[in-house]
Amino acid sequence: MSRAAAQPGERIDRAQPISFYLDGRRLSAFKGDTVGSAMAGAGELLTARSFKYHRPRGLYCMTGSCGNCLVTVNGEPNVRACTRAVEADLQVTRQNAWPTATHDLLRIFDRLSFALPAGFYYKVFHKPRFVWPLVEPIIRRVAGLGKLPGVPASPAHADRVNLHPEVLVIGGGRAGLTAGAQAARSGRRTLLLEQQADLGGRLRAVDPAAADQLVTAARNAGVEMLTSTPAFGVFEGPLVAAAGVDALHRIRAGEIIFATGSLEQGAVFPNNDLPGVMLAEAVDRLVTLYGVLPGSNAVVVAYGSQGHDTAARLQKAGARATVIDPAAEPVVRAKGLQRISGVVVGHPTRSRLIACDLLVLAGLRAPATSLLSQAGARLRFEASISAFVPDELPDGMRAVGSVMGGAPPIVPAAAAPADGKQFVCLCMDVTDKEMRQAVEEGFDSTELLKRYTTLTMGPCQGKACLMSSLRLSAELTQRTLVEVDRPTARPPWTTVPLGVLAAGHLVPRKETAIHVRHLEAGAEFMWAGDWRRPHHYRDPRQECEAVHQRVGLIDVSSLGKFRITGSQVVTLLERLYPARFGDLKVGRVRYGAMLNDQGVILDDGTVARLGDEEFFITTTTGGTSAMDQWMRWWLADWRLDARVVNVSSGYAAVNLAGPRSREVMQRLTTLDVSREALPYLMSARGELAGVPALVLRIGFVGELSYEIHVPSAYGLYVWDAIMKAGQDFGIEPFALEAQRILRLEKQHIIVGQDTDALSDPYGAGLPWMVKFDKDDFLGRRSLEQTRARETSERLVGFTIDAEQPPPEGAAIVEAGRPVGRVTSSRRSETLKAIVGMAWVPSALAEEGKTFEIAYNGTRAHARVVLHPFYDPQGTRLRS
Amino acid sequence: MSFLVSCPDCGRREVGEFSYGGESNRRPKPGGDTTELARYLFFRKNVAGPQVEWWFHRDGCQQWFFAVRDTRTNHIEATFWPEDRPLAASPSMPTPGEPKA
Repeated sequence: MSRAAAQPGERIDRAQPISFYLDGRRLSAFKGDTVGSAMAGAGELLTARSFKYHRPRGLYCMTGSCGNCLVTVNGEPNVRACTRAVEADLQVTRQNAWPTATHDLLRIFDRLSFALPAGFYYKVFHKPRFVWPLVEPIIRRVAGLGKLPGVPASPAHADRVNLHPEVLVIGGGRAGLTAGAQAARSGRRTLLLEQQADLGGRLRAVDPAAADQLVTAARNAGVEMLTSTPAFGVFEGPLVAAAGVDALHRIRAGEIIFATGSLEQGAVFPNNDLPGVMLAEAVDRLVTLYGVLPGSNAVVVAYGSQGHDTAARLQKAGARATVIDPAAEPVVRAKGLQRISGVVVGHPTRSRLIACDLLVLAGLRAPATSLLSQAGARLRFEASISAFVPDELPDGMRAVGSVMGGAPPIVPAAAAPADGKQFVCLCMDVTDKEMRQAVEEGFDSTELLKRYTTLTMGPCQGKACLMSSLRLSAELTQRTLVEVDRPTARPPWTTVPLGVLAAGHLVPRKETAIHVRHLEAGAEFMWAGDWRRPHHYRDPRQECEAVHQRVGLIDVSSLGKFRITGSQVVTLLERLYPARFGDLKVGRVRYGAMLNDQGVILDDGTVARLGDEEFFITTTTGGTSAMDQWMRWWLADWRLDARVVNVSSGYAAVNLAGPRSREVMQRLTTLDVSREALPYLMSARGELAGVPALVLRIGFVGELSYEIHVPSAYGLYVWDAIMKAGQDFGIEPFALEAQRILRLEKQHIIVGQDTDALSDPYGAGLPWMVKFDKDDFLGRRSLEQTRARETSERLVGFTIDAEQPPPEGAAIVEAGRPVGRVTSSRRSETLKAIVGMAWVPSALAEEGKTFEIAYNGTRAHARVVLHPFYDPQGTRLRS
Repeated sequence: MSFLVSCPDCGRREVGEFSYGGESNRRPKPGGDTTELARYLFFRKNVAGPQVEWWFHRDGCQQWFFAVRDTRTNHIEATFWPEDRPLAASPSMPTPGEPKA
């Protein structure tokens, strides 16, 4: 154990010991520990093996800022050990090692580094060409960090939260808490975001009592504070995005105060990556908050005054600590195998070795300006502190605290060439040697160096290495830090789970009032827009047969349904549709397709006139909301005295189809449903099975049929009533697949399936529905143009002599070139033939002409049929 | 794209609640020339600056309205109902009270 005596203000509760597992070995910890502090408390500084060279790495920053301590926790990969709270029986596994992190045989890569040059993927295994497919699987297995569990560790659910505070403070350190309290006291609603689990920032690590005072003051002033919620991006607006626990926070504030503080930076020297090399804040946090002594014999390199404080803290807690002044004795190299054992300081000619088990790099800090840059702030290089600080901020933004710069540190020289590996970027294992090599190869801008070497592109996104990489980049390209280009700051600033980014994207799933019966009947379902609709109940051929021979029932509740009323309702409809409605008698029904102003068919359905100033129209399932918007749009523009009410969810609807359907109807209603009283394209309102119903004599499937609309609440009841009444007549439910076969036998088109974004009524074979002997309507001007011209291609029916129907989209070929396409095709048992619809060149659109369809590796001969395949005169439909 | 739109009915809401209808343009009267028709169908002014646009509050009151949006900044300068539209942008189709073409 490396626990010191109890520290004032520590986070752990020594009265509550808990235990967890590290690589299967039981370790003890205290409540309040993080995985990282618990590991350090148990003397385990080694946290992982490095990305490329499999070198041992250890706890480094303790603030979630570096990428050194990514572990797998209960199957969840790449969790930062230093910030994840420890829980009883947690299974923690160290990553990127085989067989174990302490005995990693893949360490061989450290010896093979000559074979892993900068730009590895651009250089190696490309020639001869057969090599890459052989080595790729091996590289894939070895590369990358962590392993995804086969199944999600926990069902991902995250909420999207929109917040609109008057003041947003990013950062809950000393400056953020103070600024937040001030804003709240002036009466403004203030929200503060902190990425760590506790507030107080750096102050918490050195003086918990002072931090608590600031937190209390901010809370009393009324600041709302979200911890463990890092702001990860500033977007247009400005919109600040923050990743909370199971929530994506989208924040728009009147004013944004950036109190993002500064980031502790490492120094570059040989073996600067050994476990036991740590940043001062990590040591401060371990000692003060967790009572952990990460070493018993420390050397503190004091680049800034903080080093002396850290050394004193270590000594007070019972360790030995030697302070080194890097101005007089710079670090030459670190020594050690799996852990640091000593450090050489001084100059190459006059150096000394100091034995130690902990090397603390103290006082190198860089302002955390990334979010500010994303927000549009301009930075300038401040030579006195050797750092980039915010210069010009956009309106409505302020920056406070150490993000504006701090005390000047003793800046180490850019790394000189040396024996052994010295890392500029720990996450991606990029050494100074690789940077030199890349610059020699001509990658002399920082952006290019970054892309070529993957420098700063690891899990920490440059937090721990930006300054040292800039410094070396500047030196290697003979530029100053003012001149050197800096990589663009981009979101995300911290790692964000994909589940949080996807928060709030819910997929609607609609079920009709009759859904439960489809389930009971064992239906296979399919998506139809947002709806779950039955695809079939049993063999679709049997369902077709029932409709043709007896009677079938289909749930069409998902149709769009609109009640349109008003004194100018006819004017509205005659503008929206190319058809005429002024002459439509009350009670009559007419087919209608809506066009846009280019004359393209948008959607189709039926239009029933229920009264002088009352119409009931239907749209397709998938087109409902688009048509709703479309109608409201034109109504808003034209400002007619008419109202469009979407009653789609208010009504359940079924279609009762087949030669026996009239007899079924007669058992259910007192309405006169005879051929004379209710002929084809007529409607009636009355009671059916004792509930109010609207009955339309229309059909998509080519048999005598009734479309019945009832209030949704009665949908299930009416379905049952019809099925019961139809029992004696052999009624069967039928579903979408059967309906598709049946409608194809009639050559009834499906808009969006048989038509596309260029289909007008002339090409689609519906010229009869366009009426020019009326006032202006949508699409009129364009159709006047197309009418005068020859249509280049037409939608036709076809039949084909083949075993299999051609797939939808199959090409129609002529002289080896594609000239058209199949939009629908099915085998009809009734017709004993394959039938379909296809777009063909107009020259082919004549009865009996033949064309070739390419599919299944061969070409099949199809014949054009311009009339319905089934019941071409429509006698059954109108019976 | 991330900004707020002030619906004249519902107030300021996230842009994701709305559908965009494109820039307001003039529908040609019947009988005009085809250049005018093509311009209406296929050409947009695409200004860099404030432009009058149609917006629909899809996840709200389901009403269409106009917004003046600065295309450079996505700042919505004003929103108003179609009936409050300035005469210059009035619809070309016959509306109540106007003589029919």
